[in-house]
Amino acid sequence: MGKTVIDRRPGSGAGRGGFRQAQAWLHTWCGLWFSWLLYAVFLTGTLAVFQEAIGHWMTPEHHAEEAAHEAEQAAAEAAGLASSRGQRLAWGAAFMEKHHQGAEMWEIWPTDAKGGGELKVYWFDQQRQYADAELDTRTGEPLDEHHHGAMRATMGGEHFVHFHYELHAGQAGLWVVGVAGMAMLVALISGVVTHKRIFQDFFTFRGRKGQRSWLDAHNAVAVLTLPFQLMIAYTGIAISAMSFMPVGIWSQYVTAPAARQTFAAELGEPGKPPRLGQAMVVPDLEPFAARGQALIGQPVRAVVVDHPGDGAARVGIYGWNSDANADKRLSPNTGMAMFSAASGELLQLRMPGQAEGGGASLAQSVMGGLHMVKFGGWPMKWLYFLCGLAGTAMMATGAILFVVKRRSKHMGEFGSATAAVYRLIEGLNVAAVAGLGVACIGYLWANRLLPLELPQRAQWELGVFFGLWLAALLHGLLRAPAKAWLEQMALLAALCLLLPVLNAVTVGDHWPAQLLRGDWESAGVELVAWAFGLAAVWACRVLWRRRALVAGNAASSAANNVQVGA
Amino acid sequence: MSSWQASAYALALAFAGMTALAFAMERHHEQLTGEREIPRRRGQLLRLLGSLLLAAAALPSVGGWGATVGVVAWLGWISVGSLVAVLWIAAAPRWAARAAVALAPLALWGWWWA
Repeated sequence: MGKTVIDRRPGSGAGRGGFRQAQAWLHTWCGLWFSWLLYAVFLTGTLAVFQEAIGHWMTPEHHAEEAAHEAEQAAAEAAGLASSRGQRLAWGAAFMEKHHQGAEMWEIWPTDAKGGGELKVYWFDQQRQYADAELDTRTGEPLDEHHHGAMRATMGGEHFVHFHYELHAGQAGLWVVGVAGMAMLVALISGVVTHKRIFQDFFTFRGRKGQRSWLDAHNAVAVLTLPFQLMIAYTGIAISAMSFMPVGIWSQYVTAPAARQTFAAELGEPGKPPRLGQAMVVPDLEPFAARGQALIGQPVRAVVVDHPGDGAARVGIYGWNSDANADKRLSPNTGMAMFSAASGELLQLRMPGQAEGGGASLAQSVMGGLHMVKFGGWPMKWLYFLCGLAGTAMMATGAILFVVKRRSKHMGEFGSATAAVYRLIEGLNVAAVAGLGVACIGYLWANRLLPLELPQRAQWELGVFFGLWLAALLHGLLRAPAKAWLEQMALLAALCLLLPVLNAVTVGDHWPAQLLRGDWESAGVELVAWAFGLAAVWACRVLWRRRALVAGNAASSAANNVQVGA
Repeated sequence: MSSWQASAYALALAFAGMTALAFAMERHHEQLTGEREIPRRRGQLLRLLGSLLLAAAALPSVGGWGATVGVVAWLGWISVGSLVAVLWIAAAPRWAARAAVALAPLALWGWWWA
């Protein structure tokens, strides 16, 4: 083979030139190769902030049912017919005793924070999966699975949550996103080093200047929201620290699956006693609930019985966080009081916002809270949404800047394949930025358009999401970039702006009705879709003008050539 | 004070503070006044005012959410406020200055009376 040609241009390649050039190299390539994945993680993670609202919009049959249920509840309470918590706990225990004898754990959720709502029971089935049943709050009889009527099978907003941290690919996906998160931290730090004029250009944005504008936008969204971006990347990794750094656990618990369970039990349920083997009837749970409520100062959310039927049984009382609790605490932990079922002795007490297992556990809990914005109410969710969009824009502008820089100046990084690689990157940009947007809004369209009785319906909705994304990738790779951008942006705009029309046609719900019943979650989803749609329209306008401009230039230069030729 | 009000006040103060800091810089001072040179006292005054307004944005944040969540909210609204400042100054520097001058006292007044 021929000699390797050594690239002697200054400032290209790792470790070439000074420290700053090396960091610039790192920022460019680490940023570029991860930008598409990180863009997807950021956009879906940003949407995941409003997972409940999206889930609410995606289950329209639920709205009427919820309203009817509330009215029924209110009527029952007014007539003095509502079942008490004690009654509900007794029903829950009787159900478990009768239908799931031998379960290691009973978990009864008697009421909502206001003392009404549903009565639900959870346990672990044979496969150690969480199983649940809902009981009638008037009779204590189990309700049929389909008592909700024809529901729309959907993952709702959960799709965005799961996709953004594990790409619907389980542990493998978690690792991929974890590595991307690390790459983001590397890109953030190297980006700050690379950015020579970070303070001089702090407030600078120069529009309509091509590459300059893209760089200004990239710098502005990144630098101004840097604390948020560092925090969200770091806490995102820290949440799964035990998966990413398993050696500490291995060293203490060996690597067998059973040992992992021991670890999980010791971490999550410290001081859980072993079974005694002596039979003991589960006592009346209401006195425990009342004592627990008094100790933690929160209404009862769940009553958990470990080893029911055994002499070593214990009863845990968990609280509901009120809005005031959730507003002012970074840790989402609720209060918890644990009693011995036999003696009634208090075994363990956790006040709201505290964590068992000392400072490390509390720090972990706060990291999770910080990432998932369980605190601070709606304004905080909006703050995270805006900062998340800034992060999404940081990825998009970075990836586009890479291409824009090279449109005017071929840099030859990939030898003879450079042009083909640039073309590939352009296609990936279109599919990642515009295509994912189309896939996300298409997921909402699928929710309204797929027939209700379709088997595996929730999976089909995901199928539409991934199918649209794949189609966008093929379109982006096969079509000329300028056309691909324009067409996908136009599709995105149409899907976003027509979402309220789709909802009105398929379900009969619309803005006036939503606002009249005070349903801000449904209205919010459609208004945000409109905001995205208008942004896409604006992008289309810019792209259209540029196309006209490029066409005009090409025509005039062709005319010049003809003159020269003549 | 509801957390919506707290957010509005914190955002307004963060925006006003960042705008003041921006106009203490030659490039943006020129956008506003047409003069490249900033009188030294004016630059110092704008910097001091901007810092004070950013610090003041902590008041509604901590008031609305308590010390721990309040600090997170404060940092977050400063980021959003600075994005608003950058966009507004780029689009219409004079109107950005007017808005900052109007919003800062309104937010302080609102916080004081809440």
